[in-house]
Amino acid sequence: MSDKVIYVMYDDDEALKDSAKKLVSKGVKISEVFSPFPIHGIDPIIGVKNTRLGIMAFLYGLTGLTVATLGMRFFMVTDWPMNIGGKPNFTYLDNMLAFVPISFEFTVLCAAHGMAITYLLRNKTLPGMPAQNPDPRTTDDKFVMEIRLNENHGISEADLDEMLKETGFFELDKKEIN
Amino acid sequence: MQKEAAIREPLILGHKTYHDITEDVCRPIEDKAPKMWYTLFGIALIIGLYGVGSICYLLGTGIGVWGLNKTIGWAWDITNFVWWVGIGHAGTLISAVLLLFRQKWRMAINRSAEAMTIFAVFMAGMFPLIHMGRLWVGYWVLPLPNQFGSLWVNFNSPLLWDVFAISTYLSVSLVFWYIGLIPDFATIRDRAKKPLAKKMYSILSFGWSGRAKHWNRFELVSLVLAGLATPLVFSVHSIVSFDFATSVIPGWHTTIFPPYFVAGAVFSGFAMVQTLLLVMRKAMGLEAYIHTKHVEYMNIVIMVTGSIVGTAYITELFISWYSGVEYESYAFINRATGPYWWAYWSMMTCNVISPQLMWIPKLRRSLLFTFFISIVVNIGMWFERYVIIVTSIHRDYIPAAWSMHFPSHIDIAVYVGTIGLFFVFFLLFARFFPVLALNEVKTILKGSGQSYKESPDYHKHH
Amino acid sequence: MGMTRKYWKGLEELKETPEFIKHKEQEFPNQQTIEEFLSDDKLSETSTARRDFLKFLGFSVAAATLAACEAPVTKVVPYVNKPEDVTPGMPTWYTSTYYDGNSYASILVKTREARPIFIKGNKDFGFTKGGVNPQIVASVLGLYDGERLTKPTAGGTVASWSSIDKAVSSALKSAKSVTLLTNTVISPSMKRAIAEMSVAMNGEAGSKFQHIQYDAVSYAGMREANMSNFGARIIPSYDFSKAKTIVSVDADFLNSWLLATEFTGQYAATRNPDAAWMSKHIQFETVMSITGSNADYRGMIKPSEQATVLAYIIKGLGGNPGVSADLSKADPSTKAAADVAIKALKKSKKESLVVSGSNNIGVQQLTNKLNNLLQAYGTTIDLSNPINLFQSEDAKVAKFVKDVVAGNGPDVLLMMDVNPVYTLPNGDAFAKGLKKIKTSVAISAYADETAALCSYVCPGFHALESWSDFEAKASEYAVSQPTIRPLGEDTASALESLLVWNGSAVRGGKDSSVAYDYIKATFAAKFPTADFAMTVHNSVMPQAIVPSTLVYADAKIAALPKAADVEVSFYQKAGIGTGAHANNPWLQELPDPITKVTWDNYVTMNPVEMKAKGFVTTYDQEHGLNLTTVKVNGKSVTLPVYPLPGQALNTIGIALGYGRGANGEKIGKAAFQTKEYGGHELNDAGNRKPIGANVYAMVTTGATFEYSAAATVGAAEGLYPIAATQIHHTVMGRHSIVRETTLGIYQNNDKEAYNPAHTLQKLDAHGNHVEAPVSEFDLWDAHPVEKIGHRWGISIDLSSCIGCGTCLIACQSENNVPVVGKDEVRRGREMHWLRIDRYFASDEEAAVGTRKDKETFSYDKAELAAENPKVVHMPLMCHHCNHAPCETVCPVAATTHSNEGLNQMAYNRCIGTRYCANNCPYKVRRFNWFNYPAYKKFTEVNPAQDDLGRMVLNPDVTVRTRGVMEKCSLCVQRIQATKLTAKKEAREIIDGEFATACSDACPTHAITVGDWNDLKSMIRSKSENNRAYQALEEVGVKPNVWYQVKVRNEENSLLTAIQSEADHASNKKHH
Repeated sequence: MSDKVIYVMYDDDEALKDSAKKLVSKGVKISEVFSPFPIHGIDPIIGVKNTRLGIMAFLYGLTGLTVATLGMRFFMVTDWPMNIGGKPNFTYLDNMLAFVPISFEFTVLCAAHGMAITYLLRNKTLPGMPAQNPDPRTTDDKFVMEIRLNENHGISEADLDEMLKETGFFELDKKEIN
Repeated sequence: MQKEAAIREPLILGHKTYHDITEDVCRPIEDKAPKMWYTLFGIALIIGLYGVGSICYLLGTGIGVWGLNKTIGWAWDITNFVWWVGIGHAGTLISAVLLLFRQKWRMAINRSAEAMTIFAVFMAGMFPLIHMGRLWVGYWVLPLPNQFGSLWVNFNSPLLWDVFAISTYLSVSLVFWYIGLIPDFATIRDRAKKPLAKKMYSILSFGWSGRAKHWNRFELVSLVLAGLATPLVFSVHSIVSFDFATSVIPGWHTTIFPPYFVAGAVFSGFAMVQTLLLVMRKAMGLEAYIHTKHVEYMNIVIMVTGSIVGTAYITELFISWYSGVEYESYAFINRATGPYWWAYWSMMTCNVISPQLMWIPKLRRSLLFTFFISIVVNIGMWFERYVIIVTSIHRDYIPAAWSMHFPSHIDIAVYVGTIGLFFVFFLLFARFFPVLALNEVKTILKGSGQSYKESPDYHKHH
Repeated sequence: MGMTRKYWKGLEELKETPEFIKHKEQEFPNQQTIEEFLSDDKLSETSTARRDFLKFLGFSVAAATLAACEAPVTKVVPYVNKPEDVTPGMPTWYTSTYYDGNSYASILVKTREARPIFIKGNKDFGFTKGGVNPQIVASVLGLYDGERLTKPTAGGTVASWSSIDKAVSSALKSAKSVTLLTNTVISPSMKRAIAEMSVAMNGEAGSKFQHIQYDAVSYAGMREANMSNFGARIIPSYDFSKAKTIVSVDADFLNSWLLATEFTGQYAATRNPDAAWMSKHIQFETVMSITGSNADYRGMIKPSEQATVLAYIIKGLGGNPGVSADLSKADPSTKAAADVAIKALKKSKKESLVVSGSNNIGVQQLTNKLNNLLQAYGTTIDLSNPINLFQSEDAKVAKFVKDVVAGNGPDVLLMMDVNPVYTLPNGDAFAKGLKKIKTSVAISAYADETAALCSYVCPGFHALESWSDFEAKASEYAVSQPTIRPLGEDTASALESLLVWNGSAVRGGKDSSVAYDYIKATFAAKFPTADFAMTVHNSVMPQAIVPSTLVYADAKIAALPKAADVEVSFYQKAGIGTGAHANNPWLQELPDPITKVTWDNYVTMNPVEMKAKGFVTTYDQEHGLNLTTVKVNGKSVTLPVYPLPGQALNTIGIALGYGRGANGEKIGKAAFQTKEYGGHELNDAGNRKPIGANVYAMVTTGATFEYSAAATVGAAEGLYPIAATQIHHTVMGRHSIVRETTLGIYQNNDKEAYNPAHTLQKLDAHGNHVEAPVSEFDLWDAHPVEKIGHRWGISIDLSSCIGCGTCLIACQSENNVPVVGKDEVRRGREMHWLRIDRYFASDEEAAVGTRKDKETFSYDKAELAAENPKVVHMPLMCHHCNHAPCETVCPVAATTHSNEGLNQMAYNRCIGTRYCANNCPYKVRRFNWFNYPAYKKFTEVNPAQDDLGRMVLNPDVTVRTRGVMEKCSLCVQRIQATKLTAKKEAREIIDGEFATACSDACPTHAITVGDWNDLKSMIRSKSENNRAYQALEEVGVKPNVWYQVKVRNEENSLLTAIQSEADHASNKKHH
């Protein structure tokens, strides 16, 4: 089915934030915001939930630690124990001290890379991906708000235009999409 | 949006708008490169290739082409390794630790500092590889079973810890750096006129669109990576120091090494950052973003870490006497008065005395002086490693085995060559990458930009 | 003839069995076809069913395929028939005897697949009792020298034996005068052959033929002196083992003097502080020698003062020397030592021995006088068992040389194993004369300085290729047997050549038995009843000796050496000796036991004097030593000046034996200087440059050849690179590395005095602080050491180690240690697995390793050796630490600990980080900086680089590749062999059964190896006795090597004070 998207462009992050506040209070659903840098405090206004990547990072780290621990135990204690400089390697604990650095490094390695990869995948930002920002200036100094009529049944396009006018935008652009 | 106290000097001078910032950063990338750039690049390339040639000769003939001998198994190779790793500490420290401490002044320098870090660690990583007698079986340091099954590496060996530490540090720094680069590449992409440039930058920018959700993730990822990178910065050089601290050689077998090495690393790292940035800001017209304030902050870091290093030297000296261990005390007497006294004293002057001058505000604000000191410090830190490594093993336990070390011309060529390669990489970076973290700098424009601080509505807020 | 012979197809035909006759006529026996075979219904009952058959078929196909996959094996020549007593993979040992005109020993030769690869002393037979020196052990390499002659030559072109034989024999017939010039002949058979020759030519009283014996280094002085005192031109036997006081006046009897191979063993026997008595050894010498470095007292004298010292002692003992005994002008150390000597000699009359290394008749007469005064004859000196070595007749030689030089030499000159052009003082003049001689024949292994000028050169056999017999002493007959078929393509035994030329034998060539039969005949004549085979098996046969009736009679003291402002003394080095082995890379790279310099000779001078004269006295990889020009009676050489503490002031020393092949003669490529990137240095004439300079030309010619002279030393010139394995010469007062004490302290104090244990404080049960030995402290519960299988260990007795370097060469030969050449040694990269550290005492030390005063101790002063220092030799190899620091740091676990206590290297796992070498407190690990078996830099020096030299490699030991670390393996291949033998014989390993190359070769039994877990073993008891200590014990690496404290039989009041003080202190602690 066809739909209409309105791109409202502001030349200042504060301006966009204020107008967003107003619109949301009037029940307008803002479906997306494009900005050249993170606008602090915009997320709760337009209802973007906080990411859970942090938790993922923790889990990746945990995996790394486990792998390192089990691995080193297997290599040094179980599979082929050797007398290296007379150092005790009868049990994991005997030899544990020597394993600390690598356990740490491997944990960090897994956490960092695991999270980074997940981040890129979730964003669908990968080599060769096409850019989706409506206007090239949004990566320079312009801030764009995307509003879809379908998501705002209650409000007629005319009313919406009214509201937007009040916010004193920099540019307004409508697109038919189907 | 949180604002700074008015009394603080603005971090961005002049009346800049978001667009000005974009312009300033993208100009060098979009314009034709100046002659100077080509000249420097040419020189760096020649030196670099000379180094590569020497390395090929080394690999073809044997480690014997270096000046090592039966007593001194490591000299310039590992000295250079530790020196480069040390230099490679500033970047991640700046972007990670300072990020955690919400130090906004980092934003002007972190991008290039990180670039420097990564290239420095490249150079560092090369030495453990080429110093091997049999590079072609170097992959045996990875825990791979051999064709008969059980033949594992030795997890007790600090050298193996190094393998993990360095590779982790390098790759994590790389990721951290690139994640930050993506949005800025997008900026360049969206401005690019030439089709090729557009193609390249759109590949590099991974199709970044600056959605609110993405920015939300972006900030968290940066924060977590910073959190992970911070202990990493400290661990890496601690582990490098284990190479020596866990040995039995007097002068190496020292528990003070980890903190001492880390401080030294930060010390030399910031010095190198200074050396590079002071040139870059002029060459690329970034005076507005990197100015006295930043330099002064960094000088303070140099001063503090320099003092820590100095304290470490004195402590070592004292302990060697206090321990009453014959070999220990002789090792240090020999450093100061033995055949390598000149190395020891140039280290002392460069690393202990010179940073103390930074107590004088006038000096630490003088860019010229800073530049001079930054060079001095890097020389000093090279000598520190040389002193630790060579003067410790050249006279250790058995006097009959005592020896001297004389570098061969290949030693020198390889070292100078890495410096050349380093600049090749850095110049390419300066030419094609955004040398300032665009998106970050823009976020502080209002907080600490001169124009906003002076604007009436700024004061209204307080 | 035709078909008279009948060949049977087999026994069947012979027996004419019915089956045979049945099948006889069919050309092809009609066997079953496959169909018949398979259709055979009895097949199912047969043990091999079809399935099995297919299985076997499949298996064999698979096997064949696999076999085909293997890499082709190259350079393997299989035996067609297995030779007797050659089992591939198993060594075969042959008894033999070594004699090269300079050193003599009964030896055992180890062969693998019929290649001699290792030589050691024969401990069971022969009066040398297993004593050998580096030259003997290294001589096996000489066998595989690529430049040895392989074919006889006439006038420089290859010729056939027949033509040469014809020419030489006819020349001998037609000649008016024939001279046979040989080195000392101690072979009864050779003597017999020469006698026959003389009879054949001289008849009863002709003078056509004369035989002159001429040694490179002459001992004629002794023989002449004995002639004058005893009326016999003999050299008696000496027995150091009976001498409680040994006074040596410039006799290096532990290295080069007379029968050093026998003396070292005897001497060591008297140096055991735990025995009933320990000898007191006083040495007077010019150049610090191995012998001098082991002396209890050492006086520095000029060569011209030898007589004075002897006279002073004679006087002191109440005799009348008849010459000046005034030592006032001599170095103070001399008078002091002389007084000690007098005191000691008085105490131990009849049990003392005085020897002199001089070749001056007068000095030897004084020595005789003194020995007579001490009643040494009949006790420590045995006139009835004379030594037959060194019969050089200097007067005869001098006359002969004069004639040749004057151009009226003999018509025919036969030369055998001599090199007069090189060893004569006027060699170049002799060379000119030699060219004038009608027919000159050289029996020589090389076209050396002399042979190259002869009309005929007849390559003889190498000692390991030929039969020979010896009579080094009247009391013993010895045999040497070939251990390999002669390598030379067309060589022949020297003995055979003489016989052939004398017309008493037919030329058999390389594989003939002429020499063998002749020697057997000689033996049969000597011992009609004895069994030759048995004698060959033992290599020796004792002979009855007649008690001597000679009595000492005073004689007029012959002319003594003249004094001069600066005197030079010519000596022999442990490695190069007289120069016969100058082409042996092992010996060239053997660090001189005293100076630790390799690949060179030099002028030795006391550093004190050098400083005064403005020479540099320190050196390292990049900073060489000054050159200077030394002039001795008209001739001059330019050599570097080496700072040798203990060198008498106003004297210098130069080693003989260098400067071989001055005109680029083909004497072996290792005898010449090499360039930094390989290849030989060439001189202007395009010849290879010899190493060092030849100083035989400077030897004084008087009544005898004398090895000292007046010299003038020029000023310091340029710098010259020095390749030394040690550039720091003192132990810096480090008591935990070297421990030295005196016999007095050792006998009267307890261990705490001279060998205190390292202790740390710990809390005892009651919580009090108590001192406990470091061995009790451990960070973690380590891998168990005791009572679990074997635990191999080494114990080295510093009191009996004389530092000769034999162990080092033995190790090199056993373990395929590469030779790296001068430039690499200079850079501090020699590869020796076993090194001998030599420490001079400094003025800061009361004895090596003991500080005079802990408070005032100065490191700077401690770096400088004393003017006339005490010396300690300390062999050092891998310590196989139980807590090896090298193992912990290897990232790839290439070096780990075996459960027998070995620190083992897995060469092919090593990636070459060198971390282990850095972390080794003993610095014993060696890195393969280059590809020694192939890199061009080492082609001239490393025998492993040519096909012939490669044959000396020990197949039990890997040749290491570039980029890997290596080190002493405690001869693990020998351990395994020993275990295997024991296992086969189903028994425990017997203590002493396992020996490493070094312990095997050690002539003084200073090195003991064994299983430390065997509680009754020698090593265990040694490791637990009072003198046992471990170097750097406090570092806590728990090595498996022990040292025994060096004990000197001297009065050292300072040391006594320090050590007994320590003793009291410890006693206080205990009670």
